[in-house]
Amino acid sequence: MMSRARAAAVALTFGIAACGGSAPESDADSGSEAPVAAAPEAADALVVYTTNYPLAYFAGRIGGARVRVEFPAPPEVDPAFWTPSAEVISAYQGADLILLNGAGYEGWVPKTSLPESKLVNTSAGFEELYVVAEDAVLHTHGPEGEHEHENVAFTTWLDPQLAIEHARAIRDVLAEQLPGAEAELQAGFEALEVDLTEIDGRLEAWAAGLAGQALLASHPVYQYMARRYELNLKSVHFEPDEAPPAGAWRDLAALMQGHSADWMLWEGRPLDETSARLAGDFGIGSVVFAPTGNRPASGDYLDAMRANVEALEALPAS
Amino acid sequence: MDTLYLAWRYLAFHRVKTAILVAAITLIVFLPVGLRVIVDQSSRQLTARAEATPLVIGARGSPTELTLNTLYFSSDVPARTTYAAVSEVADTDLAQAIPMYVRFRVRGQPIVGTTLEYFGFRGLRLAEGRQIAVLGEAVLGSRAAEALGVGPGDHVISSPESVFDIAGVYPLRMPVVGVLEFSDSADDDAVFVDVKTAWVIEGLGHGHQDLSRPEAAAGVLRREGNVVVGNASVMQFNEITADNIDSFHFHGDLSDFPLTAVVVVPPDQRSSALLQGRYQTAELSQVVSPSEVMGELLGTILTVEKFVIAGAVTVGLATLATTFLVFALSLRLRRRERETLFKIGGSRAAVATVMTSEIVAVLAAGVLLALLLTFLTQRYGDVIIRALIR
Repeated sequence: MMSRARAAAVALTFGIAACGGSAPESDADSGSEAPVAAAPEAADALVVYTTNYPLAYFAGRIGGARVRVEFPAPPEVDPAFWTPSAEVISAYQGADLILLNGAGYEGWVPKTSLPESKLVNTSAGFEELYVVAEDAVLHTHGPEGEHEHENVAFTTWLDPQLAIEHARAIRDVLAEQLPGAEAELQAGFEALEVDLTEIDGRLEAWAAGLAGQALLASHPVYQYMARRYELNLKSVHFEPDEAPPAGAWRDLAALMQGHSADWMLWEGRPLDETSARLAGDFGIGSVVFAPTGNRPASGDYLDAMRANVEALEALPAS
Repeated sequence: MDTLYLAWRYLAFHRVKTAILVAAITLIVFLPVGLRVIVDQSSRQLTARAEATPLVIGARGSPTELTLNTLYFSSDVPARTTYAAVSEVADTDLAQAIPMYVRFRVRGQPIVGTTLEYFGFRGLRLAEGRQIAVLGEAVLGSRAAEALGVGPGDHVISSPESVFDIAGVYPLRMPVVGVLEFSDSADDDAVFVDVKTAWVIEGLGHGHQDLSRPEAAAGVLRREGNVVVGNASVMQFNEITADNIDSFHFHGDLSDFPLTAVVVVPPDQRSSALLQGRYQTAELSQVVSPSEVMGELLGTILTVEKFVIAGAVTVGLATLATTFLVFALSLRLRRRERETLFKIGGSRAAVATVMTSEIVAVLAAGVLLALLLTFLTQRYGDVIIRALIR
């Protein structure tokens, strides 16, 4: 009860962080949410709703047949910038548990009515490790005077050690809800921990080989990974499926003056012309490291992360 | 039979006098009995809701005001506590905490800012529409929907607290998304919103033009690095829609945001006692047991009732004496009538029967009418009490 209640307060505070931040794209009227997943689990399984795919994967691995995990975001959206429709919010309201990523990931939660006793902020245990984003915008007006709000980086799970902490929080809250299933849940958690530790080890080995080599990211989403592996990583704002505007190329050129990178990490496969220009004009190669906030097109979270790691491991040493 | 007919004819002929006597008897019997019934019913109603609400936490002040506002949404707003009180209770792991912010109105109907847990706690179910899903939506109690003449798909607008409060609370236009089933409680009169929506009504949260966009240039006073300073002309939204909801945000620390009360639901007596113990020495907040507060209130009502009944009995006895005086004087005035009856052959017993029948008939009619009124009070007293409590 305590952890969930704490999460409720934290969930409310997300609203402050949203002030001045980038506005999420609303899909409220699209009606294109993913159908609720079929559940092979037990009939009396705990109904767990999540707000991103990593949490859904972790909950499924830990809870097994004891839980029915639902992640209703449509496959084509980034869940961090998704606003569920009223019908989907009603489905969330009917859940036994609602797992939140925290760190300001769910910008829509403070603007909805969810049962606070069911909300669980799975990153509440490591709030002190949140990374403050660099692009916060402040505003001030009206009688209240100046208001300063920090934006927090939210792709916490890209640090596998923090991903393990998310999983640990999920194990704990499931154990509260499923008395008698502790051993089963612990076994699921330990198996997941082994897999995430393996990813962590491989990334650590890859990063060690970089020896401070400069890297670029197409978007500021790799902050936790960069901190964990001490990557010399700077970000631009390139969209994989859009040709960067002239200003973005100028920003890149300016950035390259003091940060001569050979590789740019992309959330998704960039347009051919973009990667060609990067290679031709700047000598920058492109490599995809998908954050996997939503379901991968094939395989599961672990498959996607292993593919990410393999892509990095395959990079030639500079 | 003839004697009864004569008695009936006498009463029918003197219908005004008979009606006055019957009314007097009725009131003598009904006043104390009916009052007792009303007090019993109101006690039952008040204690039932109070007993269903284990504990209430609020700011230091009148426990009665806190209880009446939390349970019956009365218009006397108690001193404010803050949202931090919810977290404090939740952190003890001893009870469920439900925030309540009952301050604003929609044309006299109370706006109850709370969370979804409240509906489960009170066992409120939807009759039509759906539950509140998004900031700015409202679900109405059955009587509130009837009084405001709205249903799902319509809108309600929060009322300004004062006609002179020009710079105060902004009216917020809220879509009605659901109407609750009749619950025979104060919840039927309420306009339920998320507690965050109540804060938006208060102006603690708001939506406005994005000051970083070119079209909002007129609302920008100055730019200092990544700080944009807006002027008073920044357009704020008075309705939360799918198009502008992303611009809504809260300023300040939400744990400092106001609540009128926190309904606390401990799972057992031990948790309840532990929680009450923790708040014994609190300087700024108080924990009250609504059943105790209502018990004290009812104790006062019962004391008043005793005085009222004593008064009613005294008046009743005086009225009864007057009634018998009326009968006695009437018999004296009818001396010639009795003599006539004797002369035409009526026996002493027959004449006595005629007179007695008249008195018994008046008394019986009065008592029967009092019983009928008592029955009606029992049957419809709830409605009257609710109207009075509202």
